[in-house]
Amino acid sequence: MTDERSRNSEPSSIEDELLTSALRTPALSQEGLERVRAAVEREWRATVPRGAVAGKRRTALSSRLRWFAMAAAAVVAAVGVTSWVARLPVQTAPLGSISRSDEGALSVLSARFPPRNLTQGGELRVGDRVTAQGPALVALARGGTLRISAGSEVTVISPSQISLGRGLIYLDIPSGTGAGIPLRVITNAGAVEHVGTEFEVMSDDQTVRVRVREGRIRFVGRTATVVADAGTELLASPGKSIVERPIDTYGSDWLWTAALAPDYEIEGSSLISFLRWVSRELGRPLNFADANARQIADRTILHGSVRHQAPIDAMSNVLATTSLTYEIRGDAIWVRSSTSTAL
Amino acid sequence: MVGVASNLAPLTNECEGCHGVYEADRALVARMRAGDQRAFDEFFKDSAPRLVAFIARRTALDPATLEDIVQSALIKAVRHLASYRGEAALFTWLTEICRNELADEHRKAKRRPTHLSLDEPDAVHRWGEMLRAPQGQEPVPQLQAATERAEIMKVLESLPANYALALEAKYGDGLSVETIALQLGLTEIAAQSMLARAREAFRQRWQKRSAT
Repeated sequence: MTDERSRNSEPSSIEDELLTSALRTPALSQEGLERVRAAVEREWRATVPRGAVAGKRRTALSSRLRWFAMAAAAVVAAVGVTSWVARLPVQTAPLGSISRSDEGALSVLSARFPPRNLTQGGELRVGDRVTAQGPALVALARGGTLRISAGSEVTVISPSQISLGRGLIYLDIPSGTGAGIPLRVITNAGAVEHVGTEFEVMSDDQTVRVRVREGRIRFVGRTATVVADAGTELLASPGKSIVERPIDTYGSDWLWTAALAPDYEIEGSSLISFLRWVSRELGRPLNFADANARQIADRTILHGSVRHQAPIDAMSNVLATTSLTYEIRGDAIWVRSSTSTAL
Repeated sequence: MVGVASNLAPLTNECEGCHGVYEADRALVARMRAGDQRAFDEFFKDSAPRLVAFIARRTALDPATLEDIVQSALIKAVRHLASYRGEAALFTWLTEICRNELADEHRKAKRRPTHLSLDEPDAVHRWGEMLRAPQGQEPVPQLQAATERAEIMKVLESLPANYALALEAKYGDGLSVETIALQLGLTEIAAQSMLARAREAFRQRWQKRSAT
């Protein structure tokens, strides 16, 4: 604030001088501001879920005070544990459950539960702050998936709102899910809302990168709101204009999301549904080289399992049991029947 | 592929040219509610000094009372963060809380006895302090300056709220046009244009007042 004054302090008219002289006021002393800050921060900490304050500031507590505080905290904790055992906490709303993650990959700080590690089947709930040491796949309660890359920090604010403190996540939200309420990802540089889509968000302290793979998102930054369609990347930093550029929706940049793709249950599913799933996971359009191939895909019902297989491997294995073959050409997947001529 | 969503309905009709920027304030509040320390730091750094100035311009309160009022207002704000819905800029919301605090303070002051007993040893000392002019400041020019400031504030308060806030931000808080744009939810061009309109409106009302 002080730095900016000098840039604006060139009165050019009587009104400028009047306003400048009348509106500039002596600031509160630094000590005064610190006193206000301490009181307000104490109150703020009391209002947020216990244990949820991230990046606590170091205070000037003396060693004795710290020991005293620790002793008092131990007493409070003992009382807290007793009452916790007596009355289990009310469950908060779930965001989703863990479909895949390595042991110890997800550690959670929560307002209502002690710190815990999440494993497969564990639920991610409102108030949880997750730190990912390894990649994880979350099946969202509202439908769709959230994929979290290693090194990410995600806080669940509500069933339809998460905050990405840092790291890389990928959301696949099929249209028509979530009762029409968009899922929002809040970052330091703005908020991302899906409009039925697949998109990736990478965030750090200052910058956010959003890559839209399918559908459309709305990014609400500080300077503007931008709507971005599939094949677009947005880069935003506080106070700077949003940069947008085209990107490929397939390729090596997306391999990490394919590695975290949810299992597709093929038993009883039509081949066309399975191929569409592969197409979405790979970010490549699905094309049929001939009408016969399309008809076969429509009427073929699959049996068995492709669990724990990457989408491209699953497609190879499934098509090997049919009369169809596939080829990746350009950005698309081409499927053809044995009666088709060369692609 | 991408377009600035000028066709999206703004989240507020408080001002022309808004692009739903209060979403950024909403996001800040959401981060605070989630316990993000950096969000609190940002909130306090951006709000507290400006709130002090906001009250100081409208009152002749001593620094200790200013401190109390800002502290009470900010405590109320953090207690009721859930009620902030992003329908106005966060700072505008805070100034409304401050106005209520000021009104409370005014009511309390009216209820307090208006005399000081000179029988109290401390009272004599306090009177002495109050009657002594600060070093380097003469009472008459001080009074003239205070009167002119009150007149200017009166004219400012008669302007549309966003004009007054924009002028205060520029001339009082010394913020750049870019920062004012961010805080008022405007593009930089719209902020520049609004500042020009606000200054013109102030000029006209000030001249009209001087003429009468």
